[in-house]
Parts: sequence; C-alpha cells; structure tokens
Amino acid sequence: MVIGRPTHRLALGLLAAGCLVFAQGAWLGLKADIAQVLLAQSWTRAIDGESASTPWPWADFRPVARLSVPSLGEHAIILSDGGSEALAFGPTLLGASARPGEPGVSVIAAHRDTHFAFLEAVRPGDLIVVEQAGQAPLRYRVTGMDVVDAARSGIEPALGPTRLALVTCWPFGSLVPGPERYVVWAEPAARL
Amino acid sequence: MATTRTHQTAGSQAWFGLLLAVAALAATLLLWSDARADTPAPGEIDEGQLVRLSEINEGALLIRTIEPGRYIPAPMVATDIAFDISGPVVRATITQRFENPSDAWVEATYVFPMPEDSGVDRLRMQVGDRFIEGEIQERQQARRTYETARRNGQRASLVEQERPNMFTTSVANIGPGETIIVQLEYQSVARYSDGRYELRQPLGLTPRYIPQGSDYLLASTGLANSPAVPDVARITPPILHPSVEPRDQLRLPVTITAELDAGFTLGEVASLYHATLVERLPDETARVSLAAGPIPANRDFVLTWRPADPHAASAALFIEEWDGETYLLAQVLPPAEMSDAIARRDRETIFVIDNSGSMGGASMRQARAALITALQRLEPTDHFNVIRFDNTMDQLFPEAVPASHGNIARALAFARRLEAQGGTEMLPALNAALRDADIDSDERVRQIVFLTDGAIGNEAQLFSAINDRLGRSRLFPVGIGSAPNAYFMSRAARLGRGTFTHIGQVSEVEARMEALFTALERPVMTDLDALFPEDALSEIWPAPLPDLYHGEPVTLTARLGRRDGVMVIEGALAGSMWRETLSLANAREGQGIAALFGRNRIRALEESRFQGASQAEIDAAVLETALDFDLVSRLTSLVAVDVTPARPDGTPLAARDVPVMTPEGWDFDSIREREAAPVQHARADARLFARLAAPVAGGEAERANGLALPATATPREILMGLGALMMILALIWLVTRRGERLW
Repeated sequence: MVIGRPTHRLALGLLAAGCLVFAQGAWLGLKADIAQVLLAQSWTRAIDGESASTPWPWADFRPVARLSVPSLGEHAIILSDGGSEALAFGPTLLGASARPGEPGVSVIAAHRDTHFAFLEAVRPGDLIVVEQAGQAPLRYRVTGMDVVDAARSGIEPALGPTRLALVTCWPFGSLVPGPERYVVWAEPAARL
Repeated sequence: MATTRTHQTAGSQAWFGLLLAVAALAATLLLWSDARADTPAPGEIDEGQLVRLSEINEGALLIRTIEPGRYIPAPMVATDIAFDISGPVVRATITQRFENPSDAWVEATYVFPMPEDSGVDRLRMQVGDRFIEGEIQERQQARRTYETARRNGQRASLVEQERPNMFTTSVANIGPGETIIVQLEYQSVARYSDGRYELRQPLGLTPRYIPQGSDYLLASTGLANSPAVPDVARITPPILHPSVEPRDQLRLPVTITAELDAGFTLGEVASLYHATLVERLPDETARVSLAAGPIPANRDFVLTWRPADPHAASAALFIEEWDGETYLLAQVLPPAEMSDAIARRDRETIFVIDNSGSMGGASMRQARAALITALQRLEPTDHFNVIRFDNTMDQLFPEAVPASHGNIARALAFARRLEAQGGTEMLPALNAALRDADIDSDERVRQIVFLTDGAIGNEAQLFSAINDRLGRSRLFPVGIGSAPNAYFMSRAARLGRGTFTHIGQVSEVEARMEALFTALERPVMTDLDALFPEDALSEIWPAPLPDLYHGEPVTLTARLGRRDGVMVIEGALAGSMWRETLSLANAREGQGIAALFGRNRIRALEESRFQGASQAEIDAAVLETALDFDLVSRLTSLVAVDVTPARPDGTPLAARDVPVMTPEGWDFDSIREREAAPVQHARADARLFARLAAPVAGGEAERANGLALPATATPREILMGLGALMMILALIWLVTRRGERLW
C-alpha cells in the first residue's frame, strides 16, 4: 500500500488538471458571450453619441457597428481592430479594410466556434444588416462564399465597389487551426 | 504480493506516462492558443517605398503587396492616346501596354486620370493577335466576372470609375515576361470659348486635402489653362506642391496623336505644354503628333485650334443613328456683335479668397495677384466686398460698399496682407457671400468670385448651399494652383450658373482674370431654349439649358423622333431676343453622339441630388442609362475575359486558391535588361526592388496576396474535450481503485 498513495495523488492531480483545462476552454466561450453583453451596453452609449466609448476601461478597442442576420436571428457587436485581443470578444472590422458603406471591401473576422459559428448556416440571398452610429442601417445581400488561404486571401480592400466580407476559419467543426478561411461575400442590397 | 506490486508498478507507470502525455498536450495547446491569437504580422517592407492610391500623382501601374491598400509603383505601362476629332466631337482611343517584367504571374492595377464626366464606352483587350471585346455590366457583377476569371487563371481586364475623373484598369493573370494590351475609348466634346476649341487630356493625378480617416480622394491636376502664349508654360513648368513632387524615375511614357477634322479651314493649331508637329493635309484636316517623342505622364496635354475665319465656326450639327434611335449634338455660337453693342451694367461683386494652409507658396501669390487685378478693374459705380477664410473668416466691410478710391485702397491693403495658414472651412465663407441684402433688386448684377484650390472634402454640403441660396447671385469659382479640385470647381460653376476659370501659374493671372472679367462685364444670355418640330423631340440634355457667357456656344444633346425639319435656338440678351434657325437635314453624320447624350443625362441625374432627388431614384436611373449606352459610370464597369485559361492549374490546392500575383524574387538584372525593350521603361528605382526581394522574416506569410486574414479558430472545443477526457480518466481510475486506501 506504500505505492498506492502517489498513484492516487496522480489520479487526483489528473482530475484537477482536467477541470482546469475544461474550464480554460469553457472560459473562452463564456468570455465571448459576456463580452458581447458588455459590448451591447457600450454600443448603446456609442449610439447615444458618447465618443470613443470603450466597453471596459482597459479595452484597446471599441464597438464600431452592429451586425445582424435577421433570417438566422443572429447579431453581434463589431469591434475596431485593436490588435489580437479584440477577436476574443467579438467580430472585428480589420483595420486595413474599408468602413462599411464606403468604396472597397469591409472585412469582418471572428472565431468560427463562437461569434461566427452561424456563418455555416448563411446562404446566398440572406440579408445582412450593418448599423453604425449616426447613420442609416446598411443592408447587404449575401452573394456567395469562398474558401481561401489566410495569407493569400486575394481580398483587395482598397479597390472596387462597396462590399462586405465576413471571414472565419475553415473547415467548421475542425479541432485544430488551419491555413484556410471561409469568406461570405455580400453586396449592398439597396438597389433591389 | 510481489506479483501484485509488480503489476501495480507497471499499471501506475502506464498511468503516469499517460498523465505526462496529456499534460504535455494541454501545455502545448495553451501555448498554441496564445501564439495563434495574433494576425500574421505583415512584412518588414519599408512603408516609405510603398504608396497608397491617394498618393499617386500621375498615371501609375501598381502591383499589390501584402500591405493592404499599399502598392509598389512598377515602371511598365506605355500609353498611346489617339484622338479622332470631328468638329467639336472627340473620340479618344487610349491604348495601355502592360508588361510584366517579373517571372511570376501578376495582377496589375493601373490608376489614371480622365477628363471629368468622360463617356468611356468601349474596352478591348489584346492577347497575342486576338482581341477580346469588353462588355458593360453592373459594377458589382463586373467585379464578380473579373474575380472569377482571375481565379480560373483566365486573362481578364476590368475598367472601373473610382471618381468622376479617376479610373482604374485591372488586368489579371499577366504571365511572366508577357505583354497585355488594353484599349479603351471615350467620347467627349471639345470646349469652345473665345473663338478657340480646347481639348484637354489630364495625365496627372494629385491628391487633394484628405480628411482624417479617409484615404481615397483624388482630383485631376488639370494643369494650367494658358492664354495664347504656349511657350510661357513650357519655359516655366507648373509648380507642384512639394508633397506631390513626382518620383521622376517612375514617369510613364505617353505618345499622343490627333487626327483633326474641324469642319472649317483651320487657323492656329497649338499644344499648350508640349512641342507638337502639325501636318496640314490638302483636305483641310490636320495630323498632330508629339515633336520630341514620348512624354512623361505628369502634365496635362492640351490641344487648341481655331478657325482661320473667326466667324466660320458658328454652328455645328451632328446626328447619329444608334440602336434604332436618332441622337443629335448641336453647338451654336451667338453672334459676338450682339453683346458688344450693349452697355456695361453696374455690378455688386463679392470676392471670396481662400488663405488656408493648402494655398501656401505659389498658390497664395497667384490668388493675391488675381484679387488685386480684379479690384483694380472695378468702376466707382460698382459695389464690392472681400471675404477671406481659412478655418476662420473675416469680412472686410459689413456689407457691400461702393468701389470708391478709399474703399479700393483699403481692400488692396487687406489683400496684400493675406498669408496662407490654417484649415479650410469653406462653408461659412460661402454662406456669407451668398447672403444677399437686396435679393429682389435687379439694379445691379450680383457676382461672387471665389478664389480657392478647392482642397475640401465636404463638396455635397457646399453644393447644397449653392443650390439652395443662390438667388440672383452667380458664382464664378477661380481655381488656383497647379492642382485645384477641378471636379468641385466645374460643378460649383454649373450649380452657381457662372463659369469656372483656371489659373495654373502666376504668369497666367492677368490673362485669365481678363477673360473672366470679360465674362463678368458682358451681358449674359438667359432663357435659352431649343425648339423642334412637333413630335420630333423626345429628350434633351442639359435641361434647362444653362445661361451663356460671352464667347460661349450653346451645346446640347437630344434624342429625336425624326430627323427632318428645323431646330430653332432662342435666348434673351439684355432685353433683346436672339433666334437662330438650323435645318436638321444639314446635320453631319457623327460617331458616338449617343454616348454623349447618355453621359449628359448621367451628369444631370447626379446633379439632381442637390435638388433633393433621392439617392435610390438617382442610382436606378443612372444604372439604367449607363447600361443602355454602354457607359462606364459610378455603377457600371467594363469587363473583358479571355475564355482560354492562361495560367496552368497547379496543385489541387491552387485550383481553389487565389493565384500568387505579388512579384516574388524579382530579378534586378532582367529588369535592367528590359529597359531597352520595345516598351519604353522609365528607370526603375532599384532600391524599391531591393526591398521587395530581400527575404524578410515570416516565411510563408510574406508571400501573401491581398489582405492577410487573422486566425479565427479558438482551442475552446479541444480544451473542453481534453479536460473532460482527463476528468473521466481520473474518475475511472479512482473508481476502479476504490477498494484501496486512499492515503
């Protein structure tokens, strides 16, 4: 029975480690959800005209728009590109891309297993609404999907007409990160 | 006991091993989640060597880099422009030769200026000895067509209007060492004033004041519009802002030829800024070419011609049958004697002068000189006021005062003290100028002379103010400097029912202000109307016809139900009527008249925004017109696709992949050798290519094409799964060892 003790200790250790790892994973999902609630409040303030409203004092990004897909009942607060941090809390409008409604491509990226998990269900013809403070909501219509390589996306944000590209990792449901990205393209629906 | 112990030892060793493996995996995953959270870092290319679209000050071929929105200007487009001029109608064919000096497949984007509101209606792409005809498509659709072809490895080209005076040509899948020729054609009308036709082809692009956060506002330089002394401009080149000083080594060669059939015996034919050869042919036509070979694409090409007999060019009628309809272009000049005979009227002139920071240096000197010239021409019976603005504004007198000697002296002193500084807040000054104390009076003509470089971003606001508050006032924008915002000026002049004067150099101030004052002092022809036989007219643009200043012709386009009978043009000039009857049967057959009609209709539609038309209505009407007349517009593009795939399919991944188009591993020696190739290259900046070719940290990410996308997978599921697995294993272990003592 002398050696029983350390093995049991190991077993308990494994149990504890398992709890930790599980919590770590769960926290990522929880953080994403909690952040969206806080962001929604900050967004309301932004709509009311408070400038540079950050969701919590130390955040290095701020909400810039609200995106919704009415057919799926999904919505999310879009963040400005504040570096690597922002993606954990919400979809991010990439800094180099065009502002929604301006000529060029507005690229919004988010994690495939949290905020943009719903992209899998988006189909051509779906309506996407982007609201920005002080502007009329922009209506986009999904035109198609693409799978591209992250480093060679072929997305040229500065040129061409107004378009929206929603980006997340591909394939959905994969457990490991890969080089491929899923792109949902949408165009202004005003002239339909 | 010994066996049990051995067994237990072996079992716990196995468990221990498993535990270690799991812990190691978990640790790896945690590290991975931190490491992968960032966006792939963009490369270490020196930002100063790359350009944004807004920094381009001449036509340039841009190759995309991994920096989103940043480009490498590459020295390899040769442009040839051929004008076919028939009366006032100009058909221009622009041929752009794209050569790819690299050994990779390349996509090129060529940004170039165009005359404002030019009707681009044809695109052809030449690959080898085949021509592929372009097709007009709704803009988004054209983009999709182009991008699909690009993915499929097909050669494709796309012509888009980025701004009314700035276009881009994109060419996909140019093979290593290959040349692709893109040809586009546009239609326009030569401007006629004071007995002279003028054709202006902008070749330079200059950024204007760029508001915070916006990166993409451009206006054509529209270099100086000089008087009849062409060599003055050649001797004194226009002064560019230091910030837009062109990169000499990247100027692009342009050749220009013109076939000129003016419809009358030609007098003087001249080019304002370039040495040209004019070959006069026996049939009254002329052929114009550049005397000293290709020119750099950094300065507007301006060709002018006048009739030998000043009265010869009084009317021109052109008709084109197009798509089952009849289109008419008419240009009619009222007789000059008419306005010469009428006495000068007293005026109330409000001068507004821009002394913001963007006017610094030569521009401010020109503006001061122009204001002083104008003040000295006032008669004692005139009234005047002076307003200056930067981000603040001052009004010299509380309201307009008589142009007495004392008042003029005060104004001159005020003008000489003006220094360029501060921002550009134009709206308050414009509003002050439009404030009219005596709005119903017709005792005096009220004129606003607005001296500015137009370096502003809020045009829409200003246009609305002009439209809403113009009243009896007339607005005469005077564009100052080498790169005024010509788009803003000409539209402001149309809405303000005045004329746009352009001063490019100090040496031009006197002559240009003289021409402006002639327009200001002579009576204006108003209430212009064009009358056609019953049922003959279906549509006319512009509508209503704008007022005419001295020396200007009526220019109109119309769609007709039939082409017989007569057209009557009438107008009122200081109480007397002008009436001219023209027989439609005498009209010459013309080319591209329908395109001119479509272009005019689009312009009128776009300007109806300031009269309160809704954006959706305007968009629908513009789109329909552009598609009907095959015109490139804000909402339509021309796209040409070669059905034969050019770029061979690579690996299975590449089939779905966007092809690599950034120039990898550029070979300097081969670029240098190519300088002697038939396409005349400007000298490449070797340092630029050195930056590119230098291997930089980051490996795969550096070969990026287009925007690099961030990692968007979290280890959430794998962590939760692993954690659950570990807990289950631990529980099973504990349960199976339940009988044993725990501690």
